[in-house]
Amino acid sequence: MSSSDYRRVYSKFEKQLAPFSTALVSEFRRSAEAVSPLLSREELVQWAEEGLELARQSWRSWEAAGEYFRASPQVLEMLGFAGFGRWSQHGRDLAELSSALSAAYFRASPGTLSNVSFARLPDWVDLGRQLYKGTWRSASLAVQFFDGSPNLFANLSLEDARVLVRFVDSLCDRSYDLAAHCLSIAPQVLTPLSGEDRAAFLRFAEALASTGWADARAYLEKGPALLAHIHSSQRVRFLGLARDLARREGRQAFGYFAEAARALNQVDDELHGYLLAQAEDLVPLSAVAAMEFLKSVPRVLERVRVEEVGNWHSEGFQLLDASLEGGEAYFRLESARGEEVLESLSSRVDLNRVGEILRMYCKALTGDDVAIHSAETLAEKGIGWVDEAPSTEGTAIFLPPTVEQYHDKTENFGVYKVYSTHQAAHLEFGTFLFNFEREGHVFPNLRREREKGRAAGKEDGQREPLTDMERFFDLFENRRLAADLFAIVEDARLDALVEHEYPGIRAAYRRTQRVELESRPEVEGMPLLQALIENLVRVSLGGEDGLRWPASAVQLVPLLRDAIDVMKTVRQPQATVEDAAEATLRLYDLIAQIPNVVSEMAEEDWQALDEESLQLMPMTGDSLGKDMDLQLQGQEMPYQSPQPVDFRGEFKPELVQLLMRLRQERQGQQPPLSPLSPEQLRAMLEKSVEVSINDMVDGDLQQSSELFLTNLMKELTAQEQEKQQPVQRMPAKEGEPVSGFSTPDDERELPVEPKYFYYDEWDFRAGDYKPRWCRVVEYSVGEGVPQYFDQTLQKYASLAGQTRRQFEMLRPELFRKIKRLLDGEEFDLDAVVEFLVERDAGQSPSGKVYWRRNKVERDVAVAFLLDMSASTDEEIAKHERRYTQDEFDDDPRRYFSWWMARRAQELLSPPKRIIDVEKESIVLVIRALETIGDTYGIYGFSGYGRENVEFYVIKDMDERFSDHVKKRIDKVAPVRSTRMGPAIRHATSKLDTHDAKVRILFLVSDGRPQDHGYGRDRTEKEYAIHDTHMALVEAKRKGIVPFCLTVDRYGHDYLKQMCADIGYAVVPDVESLPSRITTLYRRLTE
Amino acid sequence: MIEVQESDETYRQYAIEEYVLSQEPFYLPVTDEVELFNAAYEQKIPVLLKGPTGSGKTRFIEYMAFKLGRPLTIIKDVTEGGDVKTGLPLVTVACHEDLTASDLVGRYLLEGESTRWIDGPLTRAVKVGAICYLDEVVEARKDTTVLIHPLTDHRRILPIEKLGQIVEARNGFLLVISYNPGYQSALKDLKHSTRQRFMAIEFGYPPRELEAKIIQHEADISASVATELAKLGEKVRHLKEHGLAEGVSTRLLIYAGRLIQKGITPRRACQVAIVWALTDDRDVQRSIEEVVSSIFE
Repeated sequence: MSSSDYRRVYSKFEKQLAPFSTALVSEFRRSAEAVSPLLSREELVQWAEEGLELARQSWRSWEAAGEYFRASPQVLEMLGFAGFGRWSQHGRDLAELSSALSAAYFRASPGTLSNVSFARLPDWVDLGRQLYKGTWRSASLAVQFFDGSPNLFANLSLEDARVLVRFVDSLCDRSYDLAAHCLSIAPQVLTPLSGEDRAAFLRFAEALASTGWADARAYLEKGPALLAHIHSSQRVRFLGLARDLARREGRQAFGYFAEAARALNQVDDELHGYLLAQAEDLVPLSAVAAMEFLKSVPRVLERVRVEEVGNWHSEGFQLLDASLEGGEAYFRLESARGEEVLESLSSRVDLNRVGEILRMYCKALTGDDVAIHSAETLAEKGIGWVDEAPSTEGTAIFLPPTVEQYHDKTENFGVYKVYSTHQAAHLEFGTFLFNFEREGHVFPNLRREREKGRAAGKEDGQREPLTDMERFFDLFENRRLAADLFAIVEDARLDALVEHEYPGIRAAYRRTQRVELESRPEVEGMPLLQALIENLVRVSLGGEDGLRWPASAVQLVPLLRDAIDVMKTVRQPQATVEDAAEATLRLYDLIAQIPNVVSEMAEEDWQALDEESLQLMPMTGDSLGKDMDLQLQGQEMPYQSPQPVDFRGEFKPELVQLLMRLRQERQGQQPPLSPLSPEQLRAMLEKSVEVSINDMVDGDLQQSSELFLTNLMKELTAQEQEKQQPVQRMPAKEGEPVSGFSTPDDERELPVEPKYFYYDEWDFRAGDYKPRWCRVVEYSVGEGVPQYFDQTLQKYASLAGQTRRQFEMLRPELFRKIKRLLDGEEFDLDAVVEFLVERDAGQSPSGKVYWRRNKVERDVAVAFLLDMSASTDEEIAKHERRYTQDEFDDDPRRYFSWWMARRAQELLSPPKRIIDVEKESIVLVIRALETIGDTYGIYGFSGYGRENVEFYVIKDMDERFSDHVKKRIDKVAPVRSTRMGPAIRHATSKLDTHDAKVRILFLVSDGRPQDHGYGRDRTEKEYAIHDTHMALVEAKRKGIVPFCLTVDRYGHDYLKQMCADIGYAVVPDVESLPSRITTLYRRLTE
Repeated sequence: MIEVQESDETYRQYAIEEYVLSQEPFYLPVTDEVELFNAAYEQKIPVLLKGPTGSGKTRFIEYMAFKLGRPLTIIKDVTEGGDVKTGLPLVTVACHEDLTASDLVGRYLLEGESTRWIDGPLTRAVKVGAICYLDEVVEARKDTTVLIHPLTDHRRILPIEKLGQIVEARNGFLLVISYNPGYQSALKDLKHSTRQRFMAIEFGYPPRELEAKIIQHEADISASVATELAKLGEKVRHLKEHGLAEGVSTRLLIYAGRLIQKGITPRRACQVAIVWALTDDRDVQRSIEEVVSSIFE
């Protein structure tokens, strides 16, 4: 075809195209020139015709035509003319729907077709078409799809794209913006994922879109990063699991996905496959449980070994099979059963479980009031201890928070026992009672001589040592060496004493020593002095047979032998701490002259020394000395202390003696010594090798030693406070108090810090308790004015008098005469006469002619538990129109603002409220109880959420009735929600400590139990009622009579269930509460 | 240990005031309590024995009755068995909360057409001049404590209201009461008017060496086991008021020793005789068991 031919064809089409747009014409022209070499004339005409048809198709389809022309050259090159027709046909079809769609199709084609085969072309088009729903927004989404296609298909297979489109498609139903966003980020999200993962990732996305669409965006954005936590071979599985969950449950699938992924991140990724297999086992029963399982794995692994996870899992599996809720709670670690199983599987021993036992154990050994604390608390105090090794500071023993050395609980407990026995031995065998002047039992006294010798060489004005320990260490040039030697000798002495005094622990002790010996560093290669010390440490651990010594220094062997002899002497049972000091002196003299040089000899040079070879060596003579070190050439090294022995922990005799002295001083027990000045203290601390202040804090020495002194003082103050107000730090058992935050100095005025108690909560769905679920905080009610009490009594004068009389009648006669007994104190004359008459009349008389006095005691203890929830704030008149807290359940701020508003309003005009009637009733009850002499406690409860159940003490069981109580009643006011269960449990535990024949728990409430999180959701009431019921049943099991009184006139509905076979009463008329409450109480105890 | 008697006589029965110990009980004085008691007996001063359970109060009074009886009354009453009776009669009354005055003094009983008076143990002791030992006297009712007042001052008489009689105490009569200050509640304290009629001897747990000797003798075990038991006793007593209401008594230690003597392993013997006997609290039990397992292999 000649060029004129072309021109003719061109101009013919150009004329026809011109009406649409000039841009179209130029597009055509440009394209035509590019395609003409590829096409025959007919084909060219056909091609142009196609474009023209397209432009004519609808009123904006000329735009598509433009794209058609533009894409043509590249497409033709890729597909050839045969395929080209099919390709353009698709475009034409799309233009039927929307010209924009068609345009986008043409536009994307060159880029896309390089990744999508011609055969799959229809599929691609279909995907785009699928997104188009005939609306403007759907069109733009479809356009976006086509526009993004080149990029998308560069990485995705068509199958992947299909899932992606389905995902985006289902998002469209919810939000086009969301769909568009997801589609736009999809390429960059999906690119990093490998093929299989990508498919699985998309399948989960699809499942998510249909159920939890709101999370779709978060999933796309964060999903890949989360997925990266999982071992690469297991990602598909994990995604499959997540998809199962989304399909079955729908709810919160992404949340579970994210949390489980994070949890698995904390676990060795080699385990992922195993764990996922376990999780998959659970899926048929509950997909939620499977995810909960994964989520809990890190926490479970903290407590049990990997091998035990299977057992934990199978226990849960059985539980899940029996009860879905129960099993899910199990895997969520919110069930008492689960806790039990974990505890039994775990070989770890926690200090807070055994602390009480160890405390009593140490108390038994030492006879002192020894406290047991976690070693971290000692390091935190900043008074010289930095490691978390076992230690003691003279009054308390510090132990690591957990022990998990062995695969067996008993053995791990044994470790604790060895630790605490050694620390207790310091106290029992008087390490810290070292007295410089006192004589030892096995060594003659060298100290005094030495001190004189040193004093002679010193100028005057030397500071007096603060402690005997300091005075002793002052004898040495190399203080660190002396301290190390003293520690070795003293520990050896104590270990020997322990083994002597406590044969039963010997085996465990030896075992620990063996373990320690195995973990000692190699002696070979140590500088000479350190090697010698290391050998001594081994001797102290009973490792005499493992000694090593270089042949090149063989002339020093006698010296080593002498040192070992000193050690042996100090291990005699009669040796005292003063002997340990003497031994230190002797060892120091032997050893200090040895240069700390590294032997240049090879390793073979180190020889084992045994008892025999030691004995064969010549005796140490005076010849040992100056001439010796000439032969020991080598690099002189700075001296380093030996590696500490784990079970012996940190030993700081100087510091402990100082603390002991400071304590005594504070208690005014030590008049002979002048009080310590901070300067003295600082000087001592700087000298001592036990505190390296820089270890504790950064900064300059001056500042840090100040801090240290402050800490020291704080510590002493804290201990004093602890003495005045003994509180238990260890949450040993349910129902026992755990003291809260430590009081800083400036808050010393505060009377009592709140006490915390933990209680389980009953989950009726799981059929199990949630362990340590609720925290009850016990407060004392503030004090108001005492007049309130008397005013109330005046107001109810007649009722008060009446109840009082009734209660007086209740009081039993202390000694009631019981007649007609077979045996007794005296004859009953009437009975004797009768007896004689009957006998004379020939009847067989009854021999019951005695009487005796029988002691009858009224022995009643009662705890009144008042509902102080916000609902008691309601005016009685408006009682019908009840407010429920449900509406504020998920928004505490709204709730509080409502509450504040109420309070403000009520200050203006105080109407009579339920709480007022409750208070008045309490006044009358107290009056009655005081008459009759029953033991009673009055408590209020409220709170918000499970962590904060408030328990107010108005009058404690042991407390006497006083003005304080009167004042507190005045201050009783509505507070927050009503979580009854824990309050009942706490009151029960209070009653349980009282030994009375009749024990009553009297609950006064104004409605059903409700609280934030007291149920599956805010409308659920079953859960709270079941928990309350269970709490009441627990009380009953403990031999306490629970009784519920409510002023809620609709109370019958739930009380029937809550108090099944437990006494209850409904007082429909609130105003009659004062008279009803006393009557009911009387009936209850009659 | 059950002794099976071969003869027809399967048991022996004594009138309460006639019962005397025929063998010297084993007693190791801790301090000067023997001299004190001797002096009190001579001077007719009633004695209050104070101390925790199992600290040897009863054994002490038996020992004293035996010792005091021997030089004073040389009764050579030969019984069928041929035993030589020696010692002072010892009337022991265990007091309980229903013990009334008539339980001590005596009461009328119906007999045929008439009534018959029988003396109570206190009356009998007064009449024969025995040592009357009221064990755990605070447990008894208040009216009984008043009853003993005239016997415990210069009067040394026992009025018997129902008979309209007054019995003068015989020379050898001495009233001894015991009392454990540890576990009595404030309600059950001795009245001062009663308290101040007695001289008091305090009993504590003996020191380790002495206790070891006692255990060794009573349980017939080796000195070393006895020492370990005494050591255990000392350690466990440290726990008093820290989980334990009372320390472990020497009696319990002896029981443990006896079990060991019969071949029970020491740990087990201590568990059953000491740990479980002392407390029901699991934690405290566990702590004591740990002490036991530290001391005994």
